[in-house]
Formats: sequence, structure tokens, C-alpha cells
Amino acid sequence: MDFTDLLYKIFLKDGGWLTILNGLWVTVQISALSLLLGTVFGSLLCFFRLGKIKPLKVAAQVYISIIRGSPVLMLLMLLFYGVFARQGLSPIVVAVITFSMHTAAHVAELLRSALMALDKGQVEAARTLGFSKWQAFKLVTFPQLVRIAKPVYQSTVVNLIQWTSVVGYVTITDLTRVINNIASRTMQPMITIIGGMIIYLALSYLVYGIFHWTDRRRTQ
Amino acid sequence: MKKLLVTLCAAMLLMTGCGGGADKPATDKPADNFSAAELKLGMVTRLNTDEKTMGGVLDQFAEKIGIKGTKHLPKFYDSFNAMQMGLESGQIEAISTYNSVANYVVANNDKLEIVPNDALNKITDAFCFAVRKDETALRDDLNKVIDDMKSDGSLDKLINDYVTNVAKGQTPPAVDIPKVDGAQTIKVGVTGDLPPLDLILADNSPAGFNTALLAEIAKRLNRNVEIVQIESGARAAALNSKLIDVVFWVIVPLGDDLPIDLDKPEGLELSKPYFKDDVAVIKLKANK
Repeated sequence: MDFTDLLYKIFLKDGGWLTILNGLWVTVQISALSLLLGTVFGSLLCFFRLGKIKPLKVAAQVYISIIRGSPVLMLLMLLFYGVFARQGLSPIVVAVITFSMHTAAHVAELLRSALMALDKGQVEAARTLGFSKWQAFKLVTFPQLVRIAKPVYQSTVVNLIQWTSVVGYVTITDLTRVINNIASRTMQPMITIIGGMIIYLALSYLVYGIFHWTDRRRTQ
Repeated sequence: MKKLLVTLCAAMLLMTGCGGGADKPATDKPADNFSAAELKLGMVTRLNTDEKTMGGVLDQFAEKIGIKGTKHLPKFYDSFNAMQMGLESGQIEAISTYNSVANYVVANNDKLEIVPNDALNKITDAFCFAVRKDETALRDDLNKVIDDMKSDGSLDKLINDYVTNVAKGQTPPAVDIPKVDGAQTIKVGVTGDLPPLDLILADNSPAGFNTALLAEIAKRLNRNVEIVQIESGARAAALNSKLIDVVFWVIVPLGDDLPIDLDKPEGLELSKPYFKDDVAVIKLKANK
């Protein structure tokens, strides 16, 4: 069998490409939802972490250190087969909860480090000039925060996409699972996994492209 | 964009290097190097034994049948994919699997071949269902169906149709599992990682011997059977958390080839074997 036939057999034959696209869609869905929820929850965590209410501050600190220190696969298995085992939640919902929790801890920390890099004097100056707290945040802090946090946030997004590759452990057929199935059926793991890697790589570059595009729009 | 193109080209080159191995020597090892004093042997992770114990047992077995001087160094892998990549990258020298799987592998990958007359061929293992410890009623139901199918010859027919007589390079078809309205559902965990016994087709549907056997079980028990695909490493957790009721395949030693207490399951009840197969050893084709 020549190489082209082999590629056809692995990636295209009998609608295999459609199954790969379905797997990719599952990966994108889990990643996008987790990113959205993780960012909202992470911002809230960061707010608590830097706030003045002691119990919330401690709770946020404990949460961030536990979640950031735990392997995401173990967290996923613990939630799916332990905490939510009797709740009847679908595996995708549990996966989104897990990855949102994980992303939130990382987002909280990246926002905290971006906030700490800002010059506090600017907010004080804005306040002296009569800006309200909200105006000072919106017009002075937030634009700079976005600029500083963006590169780290971008790599968090790409990391998140890669973390989702373990969802096969909770019965979800994502891109990795589809690739593994093909490798088992065709008995050609090397080529199949390289193919899967290229798809993940393309997805990551899409994320980089989107960030790059927003940067260019801002500078125009 | 330029960066992306460069990366894709690099990946394609890498791919050609790895996949276009038809004319390329599969390995640098000469054929006779395989029966070296130490044989690094890939095996699917066993239920309850470690690599060292397994190595000792295999050495003893080889000696018992008169083959001396080979020290087996098993390395356990969670999936057949990983094991095959281990073989292709030279981490292990051979894979210990079963005749049915080995035939399917060499029919689909021309870089691999079966080792003829290997000492381990004389070992026979059994494939059983596994259920939770407290599910003895379900185990008994499964045992009854297995016994009935053995006695009326239908199990042998399924094995012939879906395992033994699968055409070279083909995948066995999927069998529809009948639906029984209002009946209890048995959820069965499959891995899709042991063709032709357990595989997933290009359209993402489970196929092969497992679907054929489970369809027959559903019919005979008058219950619904739902197939859940799951990673091998998560099967025990899925069983204990009641996400699945049955693990489709668990492999245990059969007869007195290997010590009976070598691989005793803990926290699981096993059914009677529905399939047994001799060990086959696969290696990379040697340099010509």
C-alpha cells in the first residue's frame, strides 16, 4: 500500500473525515464553554483574592492553590466518577465544569499578576481628577490590564485546548479519542497521531491568529 | 501565515519519514537479535500483577517447556496503540498479544510480523466479562448465556464470523443491538482498542465481535444493552461508580500454564470465559 492510499484509508475512507470533524467540534465546544465560564469565574476569584473580605480572600487563595496544583485528569475523574457520579450530569457538562474550574484558577492568577504590574498611582491620579471608581477602572486600569494579560491569556487558551484531550477518560469522543480509535482500527498509530497533532496545531494557530488580529485592530 | 505553512511542511516531512516506510528498513536489528538474552516485551496492563512478577513467571514458563536462556522483561501499556508505538520506536522488541489480534495487526500494518514458534505461544488466556462484586445475579445471567451459546454452537459461529474469518485487511461489520421497550439496560464498557474483538469503525460506531456477542446477549436476556466507549485506564472507576455495569473484556490466565493466583482480580467478579486465545508475539520485520 503506498503512502497516499494509507493516508486515504486512515483519514478519509468510509466518512472517517466526518468523524474527525465531529471530534474536533466536541473539542472546540468543551474548550470554548470552559474558556467562557473559566474567565468569568476566574475574574470573580481574582476580585475576591485581592478584595478586603478576609474569608473570601482566604477561600480564593485555597481554591487557587489546590486547583492549580492538581492534575486536570485526576480532577476530571474525581468529579465525574465521584462527586457528580449520582447526579446524572452528562459527561460533557462535567468536563466543562472541570475545565472551567481549572481555567478559572489560572485566569485568576494571570489577572492578579497583570494587576500587580499596573502603576497604582494612575488610578489615584484619575480618582483625584474626579473619576468615579468604575470610571477609573474602565478607562485607566482595564485597557492596560488587557494589554498586559493578553499574551499569558492566549497561552492559557491554547493550554486549555490541549488539556481537553483527556476527556476520553469520561467517555467523551473528542478529537484525541477519534484519533486513538482510528489508530487502533488501522493499526497505524504513528501517522494517525501526527495527523491529529497537525489538527491541534492548526487549532492553536487559529487562536494565535485571532489574538493577532485583535491586536492589529487595536493598533489601527 | 508563513509560520503556519512552515510548521505544516515540517510536520508533513516528519510524517513521510515515519509512514512511508515500505522500502525503508523497519528496524536496525537483524532478525536473529530478537531471541537475545533479554527480551523487552510489551503487554497490555494486567489486572493485578506487576511487570517484574510477570517477567519471572514468563521465564519459568519458557524453562518449563524447555526453552532456556531468555529473560523476559515485560513492559505494561494501557493501550495497544501506545504499545505499538513503543515497538516502532524501539522501546520494546516485541509485543505479546493474541492470535486473533496479531493476525489483524499484521494484515493492516506491513511493517510488523508474527514471531513463529515463540515459547509464549503455548500460553492460553481467557477473555471474560467483569461486573461489580455485588452484581452476582448479573454475572450468573451472563454465565448462563455464555453456557447456552457454547452448547448450541452459536458462540463458535460468532467467533468464526467476527474473529477467525475476518478477511485480510478488512474490519468486521457492526451488528445492531436489538431494542427492548421498557426493559432494563445493561451498560457495557468497551475500549475500541482490541480489534477485531473490540473496535470502533470510521463512522464512530462500535463494531466487531463485541457488538455481535452483546446483540445475542440482549436478545437472550431480553434486556437492552448500551455500549459505552471508555479509556482502558478508566474502566475500573466507571464500573465502581456504576456508570457501566459490565466491562467487556478482562484477560486472565487460563488453565495451569501460568500460576492461577498470578492475576487475580480484586473488587471484580468475572464471568466464565466467552473467548480464549493463544498468545502470539509480534515484532518489527527484520532487515532484508
